[in-house]
Amino acid sequence: MYTQLRSGLTQEAQAGERVPWWRVSRNVVNLGLTSLFTDISSEMISTILPLYLVYVLRMTTLQLGVVDGVYQGASALMRLVAGVAADRGGRHKEVALAGYGLSAVCKLGMLAVGGAFGPLVAVILADRTGKGIRTAPRDALISLSSPRERLGVAFGVHRALDTAGALIGPLVAFALLTMLPGRFDVIFVVSFCFAAVGVAVITVLVESRRSPETASRRLSLRPALGLLRLARFRLLVLAGFGLGLATIADAFIYLALQRRVDFPPTFLPLLYVLTSVVYLVLAVPAGRLADRLGRARVLLGGYAALAGVYLAVLSSAEGAVLVLGSVALFGVYYACTDGVMAALASSLLPAETRSGGLALVGTSTALASLAGSVLFGALWTTVGLQVAVVAFLAGLVVAGVALAGGLVWTRPGPVPA
Amino acid sequence: MPRLSREAWFGIVVGVLVVVTLGYVGFAALQPSGSPANAAATTVSDPRLRALLAEPHLVFLKPSGADPTQDVVSVAPLQQGTTERFETGLHCQRAYFAGGHGVCVGRDLVGSGFFFDDSFTAGRTFSQPGLTSRARVSADGKYASSTVFVTGHSYNSPGFSTNTLITDVATGSSVDLERFTVTKDGQRIQAPDFNFWGVTFAADGNRFYATLGTNGHTYLIEGDVANRTARVLTDGVECPSLSPDGTRIAYKHALPGAQREWRLHVLDLRTMADTALAETRNVDDQAEWLDNSRVTYGLQDQGPPATLDVNLWTVPANGSGTPTLFLAHATSPAVVGRP
Repeated sequence: MYTQLRSGLTQEAQAGERVPWWRVSRNVVNLGLTSLFTDISSEMISTILPLYLVYVLRMTTLQLGVVDGVYQGASALMRLVAGVAADRGGRHKEVALAGYGLSAVCKLGMLAVGGAFGPLVAVILADRTGKGIRTAPRDALISLSSPRERLGVAFGVHRALDTAGALIGPLVAFALLTMLPGRFDVIFVVSFCFAAVGVAVITVLVESRRSPETASRRLSLRPALGLLRLARFRLLVLAGFGLGLATIADAFIYLALQRRVDFPPTFLPLLYVLTSVVYLVLAVPAGRLADRLGRARVLLGGYAALAGVYLAVLSSAEGAVLVLGSVALFGVYYACTDGVMAALASSLLPAETRSGGLALVGTSTALASLAGSVLFGALWTTVGLQVAVVAFLAGLVVAGVALAGGLVWTRPGPVPA
Repeated sequence: MPRLSREAWFGIVVGVLVVVTLGYVGFAALQPSGSPANAAATTVSDPRLRALLAEPHLVFLKPSGADPTQDVVSVAPLQQGTTERFETGLHCQRAYFAGGHGVCVGRDLVGSGFFFDDSFTAGRTFSQPGLTSRARVSADGKYASSTVFVTGHSYNSPGFSTNTLITDVATGSSVDLERFTVTKDGQRIQAPDFNFWGVTFAADGNRFYATLGTNGHTYLIEGDVANRTARVLTDGVECPSLSPDGTRIAYKHALPGAQREWRLHVLDLRTMADTALAETRNVDDQAEWLDNSRVTYGLQDQGPPATLDVNLWTVPANGSGTPTLFLAHATSPAVVGRP
């Protein structure tokens, strides 16, 4: 990705229309690179973690369930606290760095604790806590490093680099395990080194965006919760929760498709890779589209793509077209929602509470998705796939219409800095 | 000392990390792996091994410690406490041998396996992504079965499930047990949470028994490979193993109230009488019948101190006696040429 020699809000604002749309601040690219290296590192671990736990540590599937729960729950909780903390004094870079650093150190921690179950769970917990800590301040930093009218592209660039890391990580892990069977220590050390490069990028190359108006003084949840008085932001948090609740995880969709179309389960991992490739390719164009057409429209378009996936599952279509079409739609959904949601929320939030606000919308959406997954699994088992998908489709339409209607109804508030 | 620019500092840090990475990987690659697979394997031309294969013998895996993909397919006389053993050049995580054909599942960590013949030469490979669990071959060598745990792929994954295939050894074509029509009390049952594991074949090579897990139940099913059907016989039976005379099932009985704790039981298929065996430790294995009166099963070395080593134990199949060590440093037993 091309970067400007001198980055910063003012220069870009002054350069005005002459800056090509695909140029983003150097800070955004460097944060993207931080995420790329960190994702290579963390995806290496999540790829091999079940293997490591079951084979080398001879853990039972029940213990694995405990680890899985820790893995999922830990980051959501910390996100809110760290998001709010980062707003205090505008210390986004410092808080994000603490999160990246903690996760990096945990890679060596996994090597150090060996097979002890309790300490290992603690290290995994700390690793995911690191992810929770860094997410909101990093997104706040991306938004504060970008002019308001280019937020979509900025988040698109970041998410593309992030996804690239998530694609590379498993490949590195499998290459190493193939080359050096059973040498999990090598995986941990190499994973640590990738994470450390990410930490080096954010430490040395990323500039903090601290200005008098971005520095709220007291550490309190109140400013973040006070954001809920902003009508459009409140609407986004509620709609994000509703949409998240109505989201069927890709794992369920692909499992359903696999049973319908009857392709070998060997191909299942490939579907995740294809989805990520579509996301990677479309992240920047979707961001650009969001900047041009309106972020809410593209966000709703993303959820329309998700509704398309549901319809595909319900349809009587068969074969490769159904599978590849669903995978492509899932990629479109990711590209039009993940970064675009962050861009939309950023545009609605004042600079001094941006990190806390981003944490609020991110946490509510993530927790809702988690609850939605549990709900969908239960529905599938009890009332069957068709009914479950129809119910989630209805929920998605209701939440989407509510968001669209609400955005038309509420007048845009005063534009925050 | 001149002040270094931020870019220079960055370059130094990254340079150090690259050196550490390459150095560690290189160091690991140069270390002798110590894996038994690298030891010279006995060939079947060895006259003593040829003689051994002509008698009743045990095909098993010799555990390799940290790397389970390096467990070595080995052969020993069917004799308690024997120290004689031959290592072949084959390795994987779970093996079985019957009717002149062997299956070896989990030769790598991503879930692939292969078949081998009675000269321990690897043949056709197959892919079954997941964590290797069980393997069996029918007595006539026609079908092989393999079970893996399939892990989730994302944070919101539906959790654990199993995948069990029955493969025609000659053609390599396989069928997923989830394709079978299952009946219970004459009624067809189906649910998305169906999980099958632990196949054991009957002597005719077509009938089999296995566990169907659904909604908290662990049903013992009796299946028919050719017809793609199965019916539920009873509940609470995991990893069944059919006795050579076809009358009894040795299985993992889940301890009520405990999680992931099993005891070995034997179920008489004619009377449905259930007998707890004398083994009081937690057994998480698919047992193998040594003959019609004894079973053998792998138990991790519980020390103290506990290690990654696994030993084969044996206990009478009628609930009497006490467990005794059958073969040290061995797992995944297959009795060949039962007397």
